[in-house]
Amino acid sequence: MGKVSIYIDDREVMAEQGANLLHEARKNGINIPGLCYHPKLTPTGACRLCLVKVEGQRGMVASCTLAVKEGMHVTAFDQELEDTRRFLLDYLISEQNIDYDNTYPDELRELMFRYGLHLPQNRFFKPVKPHAEFKVDSSSPVLTYDPSKCIKCFRCIKACDEVQGKNVLSFYERGLASYIVAGMGVWGESECDGCGECIQLCPTGAIVEKPNRNIINLSKVERRVRTTCPYCGVGCQIELLVQNGRIVRSNGVEGVLPNDGRLCVKGRFGYEFVHSPERLTKPLIRKNDVFVEATWDEALSLIATKFGELIQKYGPDALAGYASAKCTNEDNYIFQKFVRTVFGTNNIDYCTRLCHASTVTAMLRSIGDGAGSNSIQDFETTDCLVVTGNNIIETHPVTATYVKRGAARGMKIIVIDPKWTPLVSYATLWLQPRLGTDVALLNGMVREIIANNWVDHDFIQNRIDGGMQSFLELKNLVDKYTPEHTESITGVSADKIKEAARIYATAKTAMVATGMGMSQQVTGTHNVFSLLNMILITGKIGKERCGIDPPRGQNNVQGATDVGCHPGMYPGYIPVSNDENRRRVAGVWNVPFDSLSAKPGLTTVEIMQAAYDGKIKGLYIMGENPMISDPNLNHTEEALKKLEFLVVQDIFHTETTRFAHVILPASAWAEKNGTFVNSDRRVLRVRKAIECPGEAREDWKIIHELAGRMGKPMPVYADESEIFDELAKVTPIMAGISHARIEEHGIQWPCPTPEHPGTSTLYIDRFNTPSGKARLYPVDHVDQTEHATPEYPFILNSGRILYHYHTGTMSRRNKPLTDFTNAHYVIMHPNDAVKNGIKPNTKVRITSARGSLDTYVRIADEVLEGELFMPWHFTEAQVNRLTRDELDPYSRIAPFKISAVRVEAID
Amino acid sequence: MLKEYRIALRNSGLINPESIEEFIAADGYQALRKALRSEPLGIYEEIYESGLRGRGGAGFSTGAKEKAAAVICSDCDKYVICNADEGEPGTFKDRVIMETDPHTLIEGMTIAAYSIGAHRGFIYIRGEYELSIRRLTLAIEQAYQHGFLGNNILGSGFNFDLEIRRGAGSYLCGEELTLIESVEGKRGYPRIKPPYPAEKGLWGSPTLINNVETLANFPQIILNGAKWYRSIGTENSPGTKIFTISGDVVNPGYYEYPMGITLRELIFDVAGGIKNNKPFGTALLGGAAGTFAAENQLDVQMSYDKLKEVGLTLGSGAVIVLDSTRNVNQTMLSILKFFKHESCGKCIPCRIGTTQLYETLANELKSPTFNPNKVYRELVWQAELMARTSLCPLGQSPVLPLKSLHDNLMALLTASNA
Amino acid sequence: MEIDPILQKYPKSRDYLIEILHDIQNAHPQSYIPPEVVTRVAKHLNVKQAQVYGVIGYYSMLSAKPRGRYVIRVCASPICNLMGSSNLIDYLKEKLKVDIGQTTPDGLFTLETTECLGNCAAAPAMMINQEMYGSLTTGMVDILLEQYSKSHK
Repeated sequence: MGKVSIYIDDREVMAEQGANLLHEARKNGINIPGLCYHPKLTPTGACRLCLVKVEGQRGMVASCTLAVKEGMHVTAFDQELEDTRRFLLDYLISEQNIDYDNTYPDELRELMFRYGLHLPQNRFFKPVKPHAEFKVDSSSPVLTYDPSKCIKCFRCIKACDEVQGKNVLSFYERGLASYIVAGMGVWGESECDGCGECIQLCPTGAIVEKPNRNIINLSKVERRVRTTCPYCGVGCQIELLVQNGRIVRSNGVEGVLPNDGRLCVKGRFGYEFVHSPERLTKPLIRKNDVFVEATWDEALSLIATKFGELIQKYGPDALAGYASAKCTNEDNYIFQKFVRTVFGTNNIDYCTRLCHASTVTAMLRSIGDGAGSNSIQDFETTDCLVVTGNNIIETHPVTATYVKRGAARGMKIIVIDPKWTPLVSYATLWLQPRLGTDVALLNGMVREIIANNWVDHDFIQNRIDGGMQSFLELKNLVDKYTPEHTESITGVSADKIKEAARIYATAKTAMVATGMGMSQQVTGTHNVFSLLNMILITGKIGKERCGIDPPRGQNNVQGATDVGCHPGMYPGYIPVSNDENRRRVAGVWNVPFDSLSAKPGLTTVEIMQAAYDGKIKGLYIMGENPMISDPNLNHTEEALKKLEFLVVQDIFHTETTRFAHVILPASAWAEKNGTFVNSDRRVLRVRKAIECPGEAREDWKIIHELAGRMGKPMPVYADESEIFDELAKVTPIMAGISHARIEEHGIQWPCPTPEHPGTSTLYIDRFNTPSGKARLYPVDHVDQTEHATPEYPFILNSGRILYHYHTGTMSRRNKPLTDFTNAHYVIMHPNDAVKNGIKPNTKVRITSARGSLDTYVRIADEVLEGELFMPWHFTEAQVNRLTRDELDPYSRIAPFKISAVRVEAID
Repeated sequence: MLKEYRIALRNSGLINPESIEEFIAADGYQALRKALRSEPLGIYEEIYESGLRGRGGAGFSTGAKEKAAAVICSDCDKYVICNADEGEPGTFKDRVIMETDPHTLIEGMTIAAYSIGAHRGFIYIRGEYELSIRRLTLAIEQAYQHGFLGNNILGSGFNFDLEIRRGAGSYLCGEELTLIESVEGKRGYPRIKPPYPAEKGLWGSPTLINNVETLANFPQIILNGAKWYRSIGTENSPGTKIFTISGDVVNPGYYEYPMGITLRELIFDVAGGIKNNKPFGTALLGGAAGTFAAENQLDVQMSYDKLKEVGLTLGSGAVIVLDSTRNVNQTMLSILKFFKHESCGKCIPCRIGTTQLYETLANELKSPTFNPNKVYRELVWQAELMARTSLCPLGQSPVLPLKSLHDNLMALLTASNA
Repeated sequence: MEIDPILQKYPKSRDYLIEILHDIQNAHPQSYIPPEVVTRVAKHLNVKQAQVYGVIGYYSMLSAKPRGRYVIRVCASPICNLMGSSNLIDYLKEKLKVDIGQTTPDGLFTLETTECLGNCAAAPAMMINQEMYGSLTTGMVDILLEQYSKSHK
């Protein structure tokens, strides 16, 4: 397109050819009024306030409906236009309730003042009333809709439809009597999931957030702080409004990636937990099984002494650290450095081992990087998207907005999931394989692709190790997976398998989003290998809008590994076992080369097993809650009890702090500076909005002080940006990034130099393997090790829901979220319910070979017969009491998705 | 005086509308047969040459619309829609065609579809027209059975499927882009124009949308040629027009006459004059979105351009006659009430303006000092601003009756409320 | 009510929404589209409830509120108004003892007004459900009401 000259009120301005005239005028500082236009939405042409005159066109035209044409002459302001706008505004005010309480931005009010219509004597028209009585709808947990303040601009409807892809809003009635409805007129009973996009785009006080409505006063807001959302791995940019030292509102930041202003219900309404009265505010030391408040000095010197003794007594490898996917890169970097230089061990891991370890393992081996290969916008613009084992709408709601927008413009979506997910409504095809049959299904698709010659021979020849030879090995292996044979294993019809293979392989561009359904199995790594085989033979990677993307579960799960919280790797995926690497890192850290252990450490579940076996004696947990998140919790509990010394640093008491010897009060995300890395490898700023409560401290400062007290002081860092600068020195993929460079926009690694713009698509030229080529790993389907048996006839699947987050520590301390849902349940197929005589909401006991729990039944055909599903967020019904700690041999991930259980009704 | 000349109503009353055999016997589907043997280009050129103008009210060149939809792309989905959402008060010509000769419409639509390369068509009928819906449903069924619809029509290789879509009570859905929204199953909101339907219509594809009466002229134009059609009517408004005459006349009803017949002839000769021998008051031409004609305008020729010259409109062909004893202010008020009820509410000027106009007039009419000169001046001022700022034709309509009353009939307005 | 046969009549595509709603309403003894049906139709067409409900709210022939077995819709357009429809409306109000928009206690009749029915040569006009009546007088209205009441029994 490019910039062209146009003339507005005789002034030459440069504007984008073909772009929206109103938008371009405003960008050039020409403030044409208007209420229905929003840059994120298609033009509506409803308010008519942006009327202009264009040379060569009759009359007045709404500038929001015009495209910029080179050389066009536009009159934006003259007496007639301004009089007409005043007339229209006067009309609008005649139907509006113009009361204002300073709790929301009001664009109509601004215009009212601009045109002098705040003075009643300047208004010409008498108020008109609709025949219908307007009532405020306050049934939603998160917002209120006041039709008397609604100017009917369509922005909320389009926000919901065009931006978020949900389309749950409509007008009801027509003309003056029309008003917005969600569902059938009761917001709280509609499909609205509370993302609040409509609130953010409402130009008046018609749709306003409920939380803090009685507290917030925009004239008293003292700070607006831009930071990154603390929930999932999308990395949404949010703006926190702080009043009286408290966060009172969270808005999406418009115009920056990854979210362009979009949020989900957690990002907008999930900040209350930071102000919870349950926050830890003082260090606590366990004395005779009671936690007693202590000073920082007491607590830290006790820890230094105890850890010191354990190192003396058992050696460094008897100690371990759990880093945190919730903490910043700076926190995690300091933490892994602490474990490696102060403890002197590589026993450092965290919950990533529980989610995408198998994905990362397979990707590292096959293509060389364990991170998503594309950018978030590609989820909208690719031609085909396979979503496998990934409830993307609920777990990555803002990434899903891109997917849904893509669907609206014709993108083909293939959902592979044993359980119904909301994405099925947008999908071209839904394959519902039996739990644990993914390798067979994917091999079946690969066979179909090969049989139809939908393979990319050039790609195989040039970009795959072993070229044709490797391909033939794969071809031989998958040969037996005929559609019919695959159907017999997976339960997916042969026709659907063929159709899915055709759609994916023949699409011009295609991406794959893979989630926990694939990774959290004993065969997790094999699942992803078979997925990668399909991607590689069709050449659907190493090109724009092609690749594999595992959306990351936690805000900084990507970053924590990137900065070295991995038992086998230093920051930037540098193996610890290599002398040269160790020498280089030791140099930057200014520690003796031989003080760094060359022995790869233990992984998350292995650490717990070693504790159980008495090999790990001391554990330092920063912001993790293994007593909910680890598999086989009964075993985990025993392990924690056996530890000689456990330090838990957290913001709340958790199921895990109960076993601690010392609890340290840490800072929440809104209380610290630093960076997170999101799912598309984007390094994003985190900024302090409020102070830590009580004596709570920033995480890295606690660790930093402890290092000094243990006799291995780290350098003095003036602030977090200096930590990042050191981190960049040891982390080649982030070498070109600094806090200063990402003030406005995040940068996607690899970014090797300060001039490098970052990398939006990986593997364009080469794969990140030693040979630069990708590798195929042909794998066979194997039967699951755990089966339904007469004693345990059901297979239980587990996962997340939209409103809650992981162990619930944060999300369940937000009233808006718990108002939506706060109850645990298990989903059972209607036929199973009939067979077992179970009615909706029946209380049941679910028992596996490992343990049992009580919960309530929801009956829905979202699962297959013989399968069950439970969300795992609820401490009242800890799913991981039932799961196994049998591990995937390659990645050491646990099979959270498959547990044989029985279900018994109890009173 | 010009004689009655039936083209669109050729078969009306002469054949059983539920018998396709009777229609075929009356040369039915001969035009389609002829059309399918010629190139599509020949069809829309013929229609263009005939000078046929849209009979729904706007009076655009039908051939020009057809050509635009035909040439925009060759390898894309296209649609033909018949606008049978006849909602303009005082208008019922389309209903008569559909009830008395549904196959003529089907034949016209199929010809139109062939000429632009569309394979799917819709007849959007207002939901109130139950008999029209029944007759057309039956006729479509018969046409499929006889091979005039469906695949490989008359062995030509041309495929065309035709369906009915019912409206559900919205005047605005007669506006072409709003109608398209309604066909898509949505609320009837007008779209931003341009793009026009010929470029982006139904589901974003090029769409030809024509009124029932317009399409009912197609078969005869194709059979007899553009030249023949041009020999009827006037230079700029060739052909005939169905006029629906209602109100205070002796013989209200529908009458198809060549364009150019005078208003006086229509009222006094065709419709038998004013009922009960009362003096003529005014005639509202074109329905609610029309204009009031005064007695001194009765000799105007009924054609697009001649009416325009004197500030009047042909519109849909409705002629609503009021004798001199009628309270024109009340009629105007009911017109404003109509617009208020039918405004969709999307744009500010129409949503609020239609209510403001209604309430202003309603209040003023109750006032003992009602001054029509002053009141109508203000109403016209408002309505003109509305017309200049509204998104779609509905908001541009109230100014038509208001201004014509103000300009032509001040005496009657003053007398009305005396 | 049983709506499956209606849903199966049409392809699963949103453009059949208004057709489906007409059929449901015509088949419903209370001439309306109940909330649970809105939910069913929305799910069937893979749209959100508001897209169905909003359409009902826009079109004046469709109703989300229960009405009588017979919906009387008197034309109140400028022409019928001119030709005496307001008298007819007043007569019906008194006879049925209901206001516009209300239903008789026996659930038989709902009185509504409508815009132009296209029956202007026979003004004043009205519809009872899908049937059109013109050139109405109060006497004819009496006969019609009696017939409808009888046919119901």
